[in-house]
Amino acid sequence: MERDMRGRGNPWTPSGLIGQFSLSNNVSSPTLDKETEDAATDNDRSDSGEFVVTMLAKAKLEEQGIGVKGRSSPLLEVGTQETPAFISHRDEDVTAESWRQHRKHVFVLSEAGKPIYSRYGSEEALSSTMGVMMALVSFVQSGDNIIRSEHIVVFLQKGPLVLVCVSSSRQTEQQLRGELLYVYYQIISMLTQASISRIFEHKKNYDLRRLLAGSEKILDGLLNLLDSDPSFLLAAVHCLPLACSLRDSLSQILQKAITPNLVFSILIARNQLLTIVQEKTVIEDARLEPADVHLLLNLIGASSAFQAGEIWTPICLPLFNPDCYFYAYISYLDPPECTVCLLLLSTDKEAFYAVAECKRKIEEAMMAQNSLSLIAKVQSYSVSQVGVSDLRHFMYKPFDVTGCFITYSKMEAPYSSEEEKMRLLDLYRYMHNRIHSTSRPLKLIYHVAERETLLAWVTSKFELYTCFSPLVTKACAITAITKLLRWIKKEEDRMNSLKLVLFPYLS
Amino acid sequence: MTTVILLMASGMQEKQYTPSLLNFFVYNPTFGQKEGEEEKKILFYHPSDVEKNEKIRNVGLCEAIVQFTRTFCPTKPAKSLHTQKNRQFFFEPEDNFWIVMVVRNPMIEKPNKDGKPPTVEYQEEEIIDTVYGAVVKQCYSMYKLFNGTFGRQMEAGGVELLIQKLEKFFYRYLQTLHLQSCDLLDVFGGISFFPLDKMTYLKIQSFVNRVEESLSLIKYTAFLYNDQLIWSGLEQDDMRILYKYLTTSLFPRHSEPELAGRDSPLRPEVAGNLLHYGRFLTGPTNLKDPEAKFRFPKIFVSTEDGYEELHLIVYKVRNSKCDRPSSVELTRDFCEQLDGLVGPQLTLLASDICEQFTVNRRISGPEKEPQFKFIYFNHMNLAEKSTIHMRKTASVCLTSVHPDLMKILGDINCDFARVDEDEEIIVKAMTDYWVVGKKSDQRELYVILNQKNANLIEVNEEVKRLCATQFNNIFFLD
Repeated sequence: MERDMRGRGNPWTPSGLIGQFSLSNNVSSPTLDKETEDAATDNDRSDSGEFVVTMLAKAKLEEQGIGVKGRSSPLLEVGTQETPAFISHRDEDVTAESWRQHRKHVFVLSEAGKPIYSRYGSEEALSSTMGVMMALVSFVQSGDNIIRSEHIVVFLQKGPLVLVCVSSSRQTEQQLRGELLYVYYQIISMLTQASISRIFEHKKNYDLRRLLAGSEKILDGLLNLLDSDPSFLLAAVHCLPLACSLRDSLSQILQKAITPNLVFSILIARNQLLTIVQEKTVIEDARLEPADVHLLLNLIGASSAFQAGEIWTPICLPLFNPDCYFYAYISYLDPPECTVCLLLLSTDKEAFYAVAECKRKIEEAMMAQNSLSLIAKVQSYSVSQVGVSDLRHFMYKPFDVTGCFITYSKMEAPYSSEEEKMRLLDLYRYMHNRIHSTSRPLKLIYHVAERETLLAWVTSKFELYTCFSPLVTKACAITAITKLLRWIKKEEDRMNSLKLVLFPYLS
Repeated sequence: MTTVILLMASGMQEKQYTPSLLNFFVYNPTFGQKEGEEEKKILFYHPSDVEKNEKIRNVGLCEAIVQFTRTFCPTKPAKSLHTQKNRQFFFEPEDNFWIVMVVRNPMIEKPNKDGKPPTVEYQEEEIIDTVYGAVVKQCYSMYKLFNGTFGRQMEAGGVELLIQKLEKFFYRYLQTLHLQSCDLLDVFGGISFFPLDKMTYLKIQSFVNRVEESLSLIKYTAFLYNDQLIWSGLEQDDMRILYKYLTTSLFPRHSEPELAGRDSPLRPEVAGNLLHYGRFLTGPTNLKDPEAKFRFPKIFVSTEDGYEELHLIVYKVRNSKCDRPSSVELTRDFCEQLDGLVGPQLTLLASDICEQFTVNRRISGPEKEPQFKFIYFNHMNLAEKSTIHMRKTASVCLTSVHPDLMKILGDINCDFARVDEDEEIIVKAMTDYWVVGKKSDQRELYVILNQKNANLIEVNEEVKRLCATQFNNIFFLD
């Protein structure tokens, strides 16, 4: 059955969006009509499979001085669909006190000093500051450099890109460097490392913004997540706590919906992982790194335009393989709420229709099992479930062979405001840094402060961060931890049942 | 000077290099702003045999970094620059005068087989910013003690005089820096006090009053026993740096001959006064010789509206020392007068104090293995006490705990500095040592416990016991 991606009246495809990168390839549909074809821009002929080639070809053409209307990744086009609520920081006045007061600035520039991205303020306005940054980088010895003042300035050079962070958040240089690395990987996820290297090899002062137009929202979203989401700090993925049976049934549904070259099937709800299913023969034992999952989650969550229907787009998983693309089918299963998202990754650029067919099968099976309403009922953990009075919040990460998953409770009173959430996370970040110091690591930190008491503990089996009221006694804290760990063990059927499920062999 | 320690591990010899001083310079970016005159900005540069252009480049880099950080925070510019191989510290003690110290990171050199050059691993995390930042500030304070502020020098004799003074002071002072043994105590810059009973303390006070009354030239007095302070009339900040000078430079220089023993050729001819055991540590070493020239070092202490220049007279009776900053020219007559007045009285006092010292010793236990390993510091009176540091001499300061534990103390101190409130931090290190840090009001206490199988509650009890014996009148968080 053929699917007309640009079909009018099809609830999954809004008019303008998918049409722009239509997937009319060798599977020609007789219902394609001339007028839609004409209405498309000159790139519409290129299906997503050729998209990659087209983009690189454009890069080459531009180098030769031929003015070709550059078109960047459709992923980024999606990003330009701005919702009215989106506040742009692009036009901020960089000389104002308010600009200086931002907690964390991030800048990306090329080796030649060409600006690529700035979190606050436009790149043009900051060109002189960026020039100074480049001078500093080249002046000081090669390698990564940090300047400490009231702010910390961290420089990171990866290939032809230079990333700079100026932060008053009191994070350590290692943590900030890790965040810059995430920004680098997000850029790679859109362009691949190989093409970036190639582009800059040919033209040192290429303006990468041409290819990244529209990506600011994605990078902004990533930086916001880095600030507010604990799973980045612990380098693990947060899963929605599902009952074993529900997770198993969802995994089975995904397992059965297969097609050649489909390698990953991922189900996400409310920006948290439900399950991942991985093809065994192609990938063998390689796993998806938590960082890759984070980047995927950010891409999907950063823009509401994905909610519009089905998307077929090239995507690079930088930690898995930084030099090549997968082809991702992205679709929300529950419009218009759009909380449950299905992500199918294939290595075959022509496979759109086959993959879309998988989605249909999955949808059907989930409808039969009423999965969507079951998922909607699942709640994140709350500390009150643990039954310990002084405990305010916890984060738990088991050291498990099958995956890197983290569990944490919701941030509730007194950490309800954004400020307080950030403050608590900052405290966790400082403890994480001390415990994992490369030269003098620790096993345990117990910190009594004015507003809370914190305990961080690392053993060979797990890593645990807890927050208590400031008046808790040491004896109470110890009892609370014991109780918490026992409760976690009981809940393990929910928390640790998330294993990577491998596809059955095809006969 | 670099210390090289050889570690033998399974047949391969690793060489461990401790942190060392690479550069130290003083500059003012407002001098020589015209093209081609950049060299005028540099007021002092060590090592001096570096090529002129390289000096200009390094100073230029510092200027650029400071400017860059001012973009984000105009009032608090750069404090340090971390690179893989070294660390630079920036300090602006007076408007537009900058002191920069560059320290080479500690590193391990691992030999490679087949004649390949050894791989070098830099240990950036070993250097704690607060510790070495404090060392730079100390360098300035020491300079200021003996020369007054940069501004004052400029007024007195312009840039040329300043350059001269900087060269003279830092050339010698930098040689005394031992960067490999800097730690938390450098951050505190505290003074070790000698606990005395009320009677003896009052005797000393009245003695000091009498001396100051009879000899009007004396402006301030400080009284020390061994290396510990009993009484000081000086401003806290002045006393703190003077104390450091006395205990790390002046006293060790003079105590060595004494320790050398009677028959050693090092022992100088002490034509002593038979009535008492006193002698001058600064000034005339031999009062009997009318021809001998002498001088007292000049120091600058702060007053309400500026600075005053005084002579430092250090007079010693066995282990009691009295130093007296006093103004105006000091003549031989004055010295004899001082000797006659102070000597006998001080001798008597000294024996009283000595008794106290023995009593104290009996209470606190033998020094060899103190019951608790702790460091205590009070920000208000600068009192510091450490049972971890032993035998502080000019060249080395031994600690009885592993350097990594000292660095953990440094980390906890940094954490305390983040907020003003009272806090407590307990950590368990990988080696199963427990380190407890308590901050209460303006006091900090750090305790190291070697109790591998203890849990948090037991550790807490141990520390409470320590506080009960040594700090029973101070409230620490529980």
